Amino acid sequence: MTHRVIISLLCGALVACGADSGRQNNQTFAHITPAQTGGTLISAMPSDPSSMIGMVAGESASLAIGAYLFNSLLKYNQNLDLAGELAESWQVAADNKTITFKLKSGLQWADGKPLTSEDVLFTWQLVTDEKTHSPYASDYQLVTKAEAPDAQTFIVHYSQPFAPALESWASLQVLPKHKLAGQDIHTTSFAQKPLGSHYYQLKEWRHGEYLKLEKNPKSVLGPANIDTLVERIIPDPAAQFLELMADNIDSMNMDPITYARIIPSRPALQAQLNQYKELGNSYTYLGFNLKRKPFDDVRIRKAINYAIDKQEIIDGVYLGLGIAIASPYKPGTRWSNPQLTPYPFDPAKAKQLLAEAGYQDSDGDGYVERDGKTLSFEMLTNLGNKQREKTAVIIQRRLKEVGIDTRIRTLEWASLLTNFIKPGDFDAVVMGWGLGLDPDQYNIWHSSQQNPGQFNFIGYHNPVVDQLLEQGRLEFDPEKRMDIYHEFAKVLYEDSPLVYLSAGYGLTAIHKRVQGIMNPVPPAGVGYDSQKWFIPEPYRRPQIQAE
Amino acid sequence: MLNYLIRRVLWMIPMLIGISLISFFIMHLAPGDITSTEAAFDPKSSEESRQKLRALYHLDKPIIVQYGLWLERIAHLDFGHSFASHQKPVFWQETDKDGNTTAGMIQEALPVTLTMNVIGLLLTLTLAVPLGVIAAKRYGHWQDRSITLFNFIGFSIPGFWLSLLLMYWLGVIHPWFPISGLHSLNYAQLDTWQRFQDLLMHLFLPVVIPAITGLAGVTMFVKNGMLDVLSQDFVTTARAKGLSDCTVTYRHALRNALLPLITLVGLSLPGLIGGSVIAETIFAIPGMGKLFYEAVMMRDFPVVMGILTIGSALTLMGNLLADLAYAWADPRLRRGVMPQR
Repeated sequence: MTHRVIISLLCGALVACGADSGRQNNQTFAHITPAQTGGTLISAMPSDPSSMIGMVAGESASLAIGAYLFNSLLKYNQNLDLAGELAESWQVAADNKTITFKLKSGLQWADGKPLTSEDVLFTWQLVTDEKTHSPYASDYQLVTKAEAPDAQTFIVHYSQPFAPALESWASLQVLPKHKLAGQDIHTTSFAQKPLGSHYYQLKEWRHGEYLKLEKNPKSVLGPANIDTLVERIIPDPAAQFLELMADNIDSMNMDPITYARIIPSRPALQAQLNQYKELGNSYTYLGFNLKRKPFDDVRIRKAINYAIDKQEIIDGVYLGLGIAIASPYKPGTRWSNPQLTPYPFDPAKAKQLLAEAGYQDSDGDGYVERDGKTLSFEMLTNLGNKQREKTAVIIQRRLKEVGIDTRIRTLEWASLLTNFIKPGDFDAVVMGWGLGLDPDQYNIWHSSQQNPGQFNFIGYHNPVVDQLLEQGRLEFDPEKRMDIYHEFAKVLYEDSPLVYLSAGYGLTAIHKRVQGIMNPVPPAGVGYDSQKWFIPEPYRRPQIQAE
Repeated sequence: MLNYLIRRVLWMIPMLIGISLISFFIMHLAPGDITSTEAAFDPKSSEESRQKLRALYHLDKPIIVQYGLWLERIAHLDFGHSFASHQKPVFWQETDKDGNTTAGMIQEALPVTLTMNVIGLLLTLTLAVPLGVIAAKRYGHWQDRSITLFNFIGFSIPGFWLSLLLMYWLGVIHPWFPISGLHSLNYAQLDTWQRFQDLLMHLFLPVVIPAITGLAGVTMFVKNGMLDVLSQDFVTTARAKGLSDCTVTYRHALRNALLPLITLVGLSLPGLIGGSVIAETIFAIPGMGKLFYEAVMMRDFPVVMGILTIGSALTLMGNLLADLAYAWADPRLRRGVMPQR
């Protein structure tokens, strides 16, 4: 929405010239040890979850709230390696086709009923059931047989080795069989009144307003420190920030302007808030339609890659709060190939590559042409994402300097997807991909995934990459997998089917009353061990204590 | 009169079908459906799952068949279930076999929006009528000029800008009013009187701000109406008869000047029901505007159609009421002019 831009500007102006908040005082927040239990943490999220069953709802708000309520067999530890959550151990058979999970003993649901492998089996059956419409069922449908021979053991069989399976078992939130058996997963009232096993359970949900979560004393991972979590639904970022300033919420995700300009310029806010910066799980790219000319020529793709100044985009659009990447993996994780460095900004090299491909400015109009045809294309991006729109504008200017004519077109999301991406009717797109924690990117890069609605919509086809992706799915040994994906990233880098533009930072502000937050932020993110966070008694809100 | 009323009510049925038909087709002209939202562009989700979802919601059938299915349901007053929001009922609550009730989406959002907008409209009218009358009576004087200046400001200030300004002043610097939301977090613990107060405090900014920005238009409307009427012969006659200024202005002139206002209020009914996306988003109020906007963006067709149908029905009824009110206010219509319309 266009008013968002004006709102951010206005908010900046208001904050820059306004007086200090009436509620802010000069209280300093000394670090108190040891951790205390109790208190209420209030956060803001932009949209109401549609349901508490994340596998069916599919959207991030549902999955985020579900993560407070339900456990998975496995989880990622702070360094993003797989560890057990409900599972005490897991074993992959020698033929890599069977995985045996051993559950921890004494697990129970919040109502005191035991949590057993029957629940895990039930959840798997539910997700793969013909009647269930889960967007994420495909990984679980590869399981040919699942069994729960005893209360502690859960075994899955695959027809062929599938290395991303382990990651899939870290994503599946285990649901209680005794509450859901015989119910229609799509209409059950469980989605509104769930029963979980994790640190918290849902106490109150006022739709569109807030969700109140209460500590689960029977949590399978031990109790959390903070008694109550409140997630307020505040769609407008400016309103969220005003609530943060008024001390009505304790944490929010920020945009770069708030993080880098507004908070540092306000001593009162700085005294009140801690700011955290962590590398996000997504990157922005300029993707080419490789089935169209001239993008079938690697020299053109590389020329465009050299012609774009990625740092300029990071500085201009993200106020420096991002990094340039060279592979589709989060830098610092084992899957990211450290030998690759982002394509440097080198317009001379770009011009040289264009000339090699036969493009020269023969008529002196500033644009290069071949056979009388100017090198010109259209960049599509989705409406409402200002950062991508600005990125496209910066790219347009840089490409013009090397003689490439571009047009920018912004389209509403569903329209972009239905009319352009699915039928493959585009030249280039400025879009983003999430950086998954598992390295498998078969769906995005394998040549078999080019049908309408599939994710290799740029039409990338490279037999070497196909082979590496297939190999990577069969390999369970992390070291060998790492080599495979390093090689995969290298081939992609040489082929330049898209230009990696930037990976942005996730920016969070958390009130200083909240203590026990890991610093520096671990690779798994600032909220990784939020069960250890605590609010010392002197700093708690009086009105919430009174409840 | 009764005949006219019956004819008008019957006429509403084909009107509603026509409106729903046009809405349904226009909505489906927009590219994409529920399976092409941002969440669906996740490499972990598969095309097969999306096809299954399309089949579940009959989106794979021709539009005319989809419309037929919708019409069949509506004939039983069944507005269906949301595609996006865990199949919540669109209109009214449902109880499952375990006795758990799930509230309808419109049922939850409509009272909020209606309360806010009705209070806002009453506030606007209460202020606009006297201001308009003063401006007309004191035409050209400083009072008129001040009101005109105020109107200019009211016209030109964007609502969201004023909202943020007042949220900052009255919510952050002087924390007198809540900044966003509709209830305090401890609402459940409050007694009835405290709940009422809590609701009023939360409603203050979202109600007052649209009222201020809407005030300008209505004030100008009343002022111009009054100016028209004040220059008419019957006012001169009334004055010549020696009636007091007060009687002329408030009993004779104002009543006539307010007639067009009835139409204006009638026309503003869809707005009262439809809510405002921007105000509801800024103040984080779960009302009809936000619900409709989100449903359109998600291509949540049952919710969009539910809101459009109920909105159209209420609008048609509003128009009918406005006509009846007009007849009540204008004796000429009562005397038989109306049936010929």
